[in-house]
Order: sequence, then structure tokens, then C-alpha cells
Amino acid sequence: MRFEKEVDIRAPKEKVWNFIWDVDRFIACVPGCKEAKTLEAGKRYAALMTEKVGPFRVEFPITIEVLERDEMSRIKAQASGADNKIGSRMKIDLDVSLREEGDKTKLSFVAGVDILGKLAALGHGIIKRKADQVLDDFAQAVKRQLEGDA
Amino acid sequence: MSKMMARRSDVQTLPISFTLNGKLQEMEVEPHEILLDVVRERLGLTGAKRSCDVQVCGTCTLLVDGRPVSACTTLAFEVRGRSVLTIEGLAENGKLHPLQQAFIEHGGFQCGYCTPGMILAAKALLDENPDPTEDELKHFMHGNLCRCTGYKKIIESILAAAEKMRSKS
Amino acid sequence: MLRRFRLEEPASVREVSELLGRFGESAKLYAGGTELLLAMKEGLVQYERLINVKTVQGLNEIQSSDGIIRIGALCTHHQLENSPVLRQSLPVFVKLEENVANVRVRQVGTIGGNLCFAEPHADPGTLLIALGAKLVAEKTDSRREIPAEAFFVGAYETCLEPDEVLTEIQVPLPATRSGIAYLKFGYLERPSVGVAVAFSRNGGDSIGDIKIAVGCAGPAPKRVVEAEEALKGKTMEEATQRLAQAGQVAGRAADAISDLHGSQEYKEHIVGVLLKRAFQKAVSQG
Repeated sequence: MRFEKEVDIRAPKEKVWNFIWDVDRFIACVPGCKEAKTLEAGKRYAALMTEKVGPFRVEFPITIEVLERDEMSRIKAQASGADNKIGSRMKIDLDVSLREEGDKTKLSFVAGVDILGKLAALGHGIIKRKADQVLDDFAQAVKRQLEGDA
Repeated sequence: MSKMMARRSDVQTLPISFTLNGKLQEMEVEPHEILLDVVRERLGLTGAKRSCDVQVCGTCTLLVDGRPVSACTTLAFEVRGRSVLTIEGLAENGKLHPLQQAFIEHGGFQCGYCTPGMILAAKALLDENPDPTEDELKHFMHGNLCRCTGYKKIIESILAAAEKMRSKS
Repeated sequence: MLRRFRLEEPASVREVSELLGRFGESAKLYAGGTELLLAMKEGLVQYERLINVKTVQGLNEIQSSDGIIRIGALCTHHQLENSPVLRQSLPVFVKLEENVANVRVRQVGTIGGNLCFAEPHADPGTLLIALGAKLVAEKTDSRREIPAEAFFVGAYETCLEPDEVLTEIQVPLPATRSGIAYLKFGYLERPSVGVAVAFSRNGGDSIGDIKIAVGCAGPAPKRVVEAEEALKGKTMEEATQRLAQAGQVAGRAADAISDLHGSQEYKEHIVGVLLKRAFQKAVSQG
């Protein structure tokens, strides 16, 4: 599943960039994501991702690995984890880029999300809809965080 | 609640009694035990088969109070106080039921895996509708899958049995 | 294989609600089990306790009085397809129930369980929305009536509170000369698209109130007011001419998602086709 999102943030690029590396606050913008930990600054992070569709719940302990980093403009990262309780795995390839546009910063991200295992029994359509909603909420939360304390 | 008693403090067991193929059966089951497992493994009646395990195929069909249920997705305690019929209980005094006889005579099975479920579902149909049209029969039986026969011989078998059963009664 | 759980067998709705409140998400209401047990066997959900609501008396009756058909939440599909009350007053619902899943699922599956599990590929919710049904939810100290169209929140999600119990479905008795139809299409075990139309006639030959609902295509059944607007108040002839347009509108409004049952575009198209046929069927019966 591939998702592309863009969000205009009324904040300078530098502030957006720094926010991304303020891992605790940044991870807190992902709905259902908590317990962010830095394993190796700038390279590896861990978090716990929980999601819910009706009575179906998943809890993925994920590790996030930063693969590429172009200062002030782009980050490529991969997040992966497994929920052993219900036998499912998740992998997210994330490509985030920043572009200055006047007094705003355009934050774009492309996410390739793969979900394997029993969770797939819920149906591709439902999971895709859920993932899309999570990414939308995430984008809005980032915007709120950065514009709120401008 | 009073009906429950605990064997060990952490394990809940339910004493149940029901009629199995015409005979009283008393036993204890845990709430999570599935009827198909109890019938096959604890009671040794292996006519009902596990296949899809999601109530789609009908190979695990049993009759509870004369109505077909998927034993694969029925909790065993649910049969308390009720009457359960498996394929093993269908023949009487060594004489095959007209449906069983008809399936043999009309070639209503090949590999035979679906047959116990087919015959029990067909019995439920004929008990409520002794003279079904072919469409009524197909509607009732469409949840019992056969991967060998193409259904034609099964339909012929059931219609032939229906005729025989009507002429007898 | 199922994991071990404890069974609670309450005697009243009040007790059910108390148990739900006490045990929270570690417990689940259990009625027919046709959906729940599949998810539990698959290991997708785990509960420490199941609360067998079937030990509560009086929730499996079907009655018609004061212009309302009251259906107990524990009625099985089998009961509904054979109900004399429904056969007489709501044959469209009987027809729908006759075609739910297969004879074994209908034997044990309940209407309440079907609605509360909110599996997207289900039939009854769609028709109940078009019929303007209300769902009665109770807990220890309160009771409310929820319009069917507000009941479904998303896939597998309803607006019920954690300790609320669905006890009854109330369907207003259709006015005389109203037209009602439900049609579904699918090629897998569950339907891919379902469309329900229900309208009353004004004096003469025009459409009075009309409700259209679409199910299965998206995460939850929903009313499509946009399509209703295209037909409301029109004469039968005008409405018939606008069916294609109404079908397109309904398709777009259906919130269809691509999955094994078909692509979004395909489902949107089928919604239009079914709407047209369902309307024609409703007209011929009204």
C-alpha cells in the first residue's frame, strides 16, 4: 500500500526539521504511537505502535531506522515490527521531504506500508482506509504542534 | 451460575447432558471446547469432518434439535438439553436411512468427504419440506459444498429419497 | 482451536451491562457466535470472558403493535425468515433473511449480533437504514433509541458504549402503497454490494419520502441522501428518467473501497445498477 501526503505548515523549514528530530514530540504525533526511545541518536529509534479497528487491536513494537538524511531537506527511514500475539508483521518505508514555500514549509511524505499475517484477514480495503486515516491524523498533528507554538 | 462447578479454581467446567443419536449423554466440557472436537475426539464419532472451519463448506454439519449447525463453530456447551444427531445415528437397526440408500444408488458421492454433512442437511430439509422443488432444494443445500460430483447426482439422490420417504409415510 | 475463556450466563439485561462494565475489554458479548467465534479461532481477538446473552429471556420475540414492528435482538436469522409477523408486514426483510449466508449460519446467527459485530459485508443494516429503523440500546440505568443510520460508525464499529446492550430493533410499519426493495450482488461468500430503497407515495403518482442506503461497498452501511434528493417528490416517470443520475450519485456517495470483492470503481458502478433495479422492483411492488 502506497500513500502520499502533503501538509503546509506555517513555520520555517529549520523549525520543522528540528521538530522531526525531537523524537518524543514527533512520535507523539503518530496516533497510537508511544514510548519513543532513542537507541542510537540520528540512526535508530524504537516505539510502540497500537492500532484498533473495532474489536481488533494490534500492538507492534517497532524499530525505526534512518536510512538516508539530507540536512534540512529529506529523510528516508524504515519502520518495522511484529505483533506476535496475533501473528502479524508490519513494515513501513517512509520518505519525508521538506520544501520552503514563502513563509510556509511543505512537508511531503510517501509511505509504503506492508502488513502481513493474520491481520490481513480483516481485508485489504479496511486496513488501507485505516492506514490512510492514521497518516492524515499524523500530518494534522504535526501541523498543530508546529503552528500552535509559533 | 449455579450450574457451573470448578474442577480447578482457574478452570471452569460445565456439566452438560444432551441426547446423542437417541441416547442420553452426560459429560463435562470447558466453555471454549468446540462441538466438532468433542464429538470427534472425546466421543469418537468421526463422521463429521473439519474442512473450511469457517461455516462455509458444511462438512461438519450436525443436526441439533433437527436443524443443521456447523459443529466447527459451535461451542459444545450449547447442546445442553438438546438432541444431537450425527451421521452415525442415522441408520436404524442396521438399516440405512432412505437418504443414505439413495446416495449409494444414485452415485451421490465420490470421495465421500462432504457426504455426512450433505445427508444430514438433506434430512433437515426433508423433515421440514418433504416435497421440495429443485430450486428449494438448491437454496437449502447451497451451503454444503462438494468438490467431486458437480452436485447433479447429489440433487438426484435427495429428490429420489424424498420420493421414497413420501411414499412410505 | 480456541483459547480458554470463562463463561458468564447473566439472567437480565441489567446483569449483562454490569458484567460489560466490570470486565471492560477483557469480556465480550456472545450470542450466535457466527462472527465472534471465527475471529477468536483465527486468533484476531482474545477474551478472558464471554458473556452469553442468550440466557436473558424475552429478547427473541417479534411483535407488531402501534405501527411498529419490534424485533428482539436475539432473534436468529432462521426465526426472522419464518416469522408470520414479518411475512405479513415486511416481506422484504424476510426475503433478505432467507438469503443471509447459509442455512447453518441462519440457524444460530442473531440479528443483534449481526448488527453489533458490524462486519462491513452484511445485509440487514442497509435495509434497516432505508426502513428508518431504530435500535434500542440499554444499560443498567438507561435506555436510548438510536436511528439505524447513526448506529454504524465504521468497519466493525458501532456507536454503542462499552456497557450498552442492543436489545430491540424497531421498524416502523411501512405505509400502504410504499415501495421497498433490497438487492445485493456478490460472487464471494459475502455480498460485495447491497442497496436498499424504501419510498412512500404522495397522493397521485409521485414519490413522497424516500430513503436509500448502500452497504458492503464501504466500511459501513450508510444512507445516501444525495441520491434520495434526485428522486424525492418526482413522479414515477420523472424518477425513472433520473435513475441513472441517482445511481451515479449513490455510487460516489457509497464510500466504496477496493478489496477482494471488487475495485472502488467497480463497486460504484454496481451501486448504480442495483439502485436502478431495486427502485424498479420497489415500484412494481408498491
